[in-house]
Amino acid sequence: MRDRASQQSALAALGQQGLAGGELGELLETAAAVAARELEVEQVAILEQTRDRRGMLARAGVGLPDGVLGGVLPLDPSTLAGDLGSASSISARLGDFGTIEAHSRKAEHFTDDDSEFLQGVGNVVGAAAERSGYDELVRDSEAQFRELADTTPALMWMTDAEGDVTFVNRAWLRFTGGSSDVGVTFEQTAHPDDREAAVRRWEEASRRREEFRWEYRLRHAASGGYRWVLEEGTPRFAGGEFVGYVGTATDIHERRAMEEALRESEAGWRDLADTAPAMMWTTDQDGLVTFVNAGWLRFTGTSLEQELGASWQLGVHAEDVDSMLASWEAARGQRRAWEREYRLRSRSGEYRWVVDRGVPRYEGGRFTGYVGTAIDIHERKSMEARLIEVYQREHKIAETLQRSLLPERLPQIEGMELAARYLPGARGAAVGGDWYDVLERPDGRVALVVGDVVGHGLRAAATMGQLRNAFRAYGLVESSASEVVARINRLVMSGVDDVMATVLYLVLDRETGELSFSAAGHPPPLVLAPDGPHFLEGGRSVPIGASDPAVFREATAVLPPGSSLLLYTDGLVERRDEPLDQRLDKLAAVAGAAGEGLDALCERVIETVLGEGDPGDDVALLAVRPLPAASDRISLTLPAEPASLEGLRRRLARFLHATGASETEQYEVMLTICEAAGNAIEHAYGPGDATYEVEVTLTSEELVATVRDSGAWRDRRHEHHGRGLNIIDKLMDDVDVTASEEGTVVIMRRRLSAARAA
Amino acid sequence: MSSSAEIAVERRGANVVAHVSGEVDMTNAAYLREQLLDSMPNDALTLIIDISDCRYLDSAAIEVLFDLSRRLGRRRQELRLVMPPSSPLRRVIELTEVGSAAPVHESLDSALSQ
Repeated sequence: MRDRASQQSALAALGQQGLAGGELGELLETAAAVAARELEVEQVAILEQTRDRRGMLARAGVGLPDGVLGGVLPLDPSTLAGDLGSASSISARLGDFGTIEAHSRKAEHFTDDDSEFLQGVGNVVGAAAERSGYDELVRDSEAQFRELADTTPALMWMTDAEGDVTFVNRAWLRFTGGSSDVGVTFEQTAHPDDREAAVRRWEEASRRREEFRWEYRLRHAASGGYRWVLEEGTPRFAGGEFVGYVGTATDIHERRAMEEALRESEAGWRDLADTAPAMMWTTDQDGLVTFVNAGWLRFTGTSLEQELGASWQLGVHAEDVDSMLASWEAARGQRRAWEREYRLRSRSGEYRWVVDRGVPRYEGGRFTGYVGTAIDIHERKSMEARLIEVYQREHKIAETLQRSLLPERLPQIEGMELAARYLPGARGAAVGGDWYDVLERPDGRVALVVGDVVGHGLRAAATMGQLRNAFRAYGLVESSASEVVARINRLVMSGVDDVMATVLYLVLDRETGELSFSAAGHPPPLVLAPDGPHFLEGGRSVPIGASDPAVFREATAVLPPGSSLLLYTDGLVERRDEPLDQRLDKLAAVAGAAGEGLDALCERVIETVLGEGDPGDDVALLAVRPLPAASDRISLTLPAEPASLEGLRRRLARFLHATGASETEQYEVMLTICEAAGNAIEHAYGPGDATYEVEVTLTSEELVATVRDSGAWRDRRHEHHGRGLNIIDKLMDDVDVTASEEGTVVIMRRRLSAARAA
Repeated sequence: MSSSAEIAVERRGANVVAHVSGEVDMTNAAYLREQLLDSMPNDALTLIIDISDCRYLDSAAIEVLFDLSRRLGRRRQELRLVMPPSSPLRRVIELTEVGSAAPVHESLDSALSQ
């Protein structure tokens, strides 16, 4: 019998294997085996789209004929099904990687749950395949970076998050004459007069993780002195964590020297300019070009005649022209210094990034135009673009994993309205390890959990998946909230990884509103009662993973009828610029009293509390509200599987509890309905999509229960089936069984001692 | 997913006492039977099943009680039940005549002192 819970736990286990980052081939084998087992099918195939996108390569599978594995199949998905002689099939995409197919020899073998499960498998495999490709990309790009860095004439360096230099390229070593400057902070190579300012600006920029650019004098081995360089740095991130800076230094000594020389003599300057390797230009007071040096012409391959006059657009990339001209005109209008990065067509026809800078010049106090220099920064720009691309890919993968680990849709829980939201953090902070979950316990109570794994990126998302499963497991077997948290703490502390997480775990009785919770380093849950909002106090302890042994407290409360509960992670309420108390007050004020639908509530809370733009940190939000029990009628259609009985009992318990019937009556009515349901399950046709219906109505006189199936009750009865019928007969006042071609209908009536007027 | 029942077994002299709590239905009745049989060593005389904390038993569970009684009888062992008079399950246990296969006691002390 296929089982949704078993499928989900198999999916979770597969998700963890995917996250562990082993060989992709092994994961594909496991995925195929898991799919075959959980879907109870003979054949499963995992097909990778070939690079030319014209065929499918069979990478792994179960039950495939000889010769299929490792072979290339045509794109048409029905081909394999035809070859295998399958009667029904489902398939799911594996991201951009390919597809997974399951084939059964039985017609109409698959249910919606099966499709959903297979898509879950597809998500895990797709994410892992993407990451596997990404790992190669990172290895490639790091190697490429070092190779490129060592061949470029630009001076390049990298630091770690503390600011210690971890890499300098060959050009840098040649320039400064050091054998290896790794581990030496850059200020030691700066001119003594520039050191203090450089350190100050460095600390300021790295605190804010901003890009920076400044000019200073750098030790120069060949001349035995110092030369002016323009240093530029860009913060680097990996997995969302700031890991340091990458930067370049460009020799601008000529430019500085030119500026000096220009102050002395225009004519002398032009001679000097033409011998300099840098690109230089001057304009008159109207902005018309009066001179470009030989370095400029060497770069662009143009002639001096072409460059003179109103030549500002010449060779500038079409996408950059407008913004470049606008900024130039704006600066010139105010006679300010001007600086702009844009793409300029080089001699070879390739557009290369340059940074162009102009400063106003004066003769005898009179404005005479601008003098400017341009520097080729193409290598740096492409390096930046590559780093950003790598970073964005990882961010996307972590987000995909995060989402594939969260419940895609919340479970339907009888008698409870539920809504949840997950918002990944903004680019700078990346995806984190926030999660939410809802679980129906065997005792009929509902367990709610919201948690936040410390850290960001792939590792936090992986840890989140493990903790979520641990909560599902312990939440099922352990009834005390604090004990669940304590057990998970023990589990986490026994592991090798440094894991820390804040968690709010809460168990709620839908019928009575009684709840108990444990808040491990987590902000308190918010109750939205009809008479206004309040936070639940108490039950507070240290985060999970902080210490062992640790005491985890538990607090209890009663949810007033008609209330909602709001659970959230601190991304919703933490702001650097505002104290937590104020943020919590704001949350309570915005959430307000109960009343509206929970989806609308979640939207409004996110919109108003988070405000404009992306959240800095990621945010998980879970809202629940017990609904008043249906008063006089329930009507259910259930799958014809024994596992449906437990859910049926939950629903009946709730309905019967509300009737005010005695405990004995509640048990007896539930038992008779479930006995009839048990018969319906045994007689329903086939294992696939068979269902049965249960309808219970309550009038002032009596309770009427109808159980309807599509099978025929067999004559041959086992002893306990006889006992089941015997129970139904004896416990009900009146029983009517009608068998027909369409199936069997059992109608049972019983007077309840305390049945209220409907 | 099968329904959940918990079984706690303790040895009391010549008796084995099994506290069964939770819910037993057609999804876990067979498992319950195996667990209870496994918990009965050859040198024990009586298996006392305490269902005071059982919230739900269906016909499959009751069938297991009859079956256990038969199997233990073949091994010259005895089955007794403990169920307080106030139990909602009382009338069903009586209607199905479980008492004919396993005497029903109102308390554990009473079952142990027989």
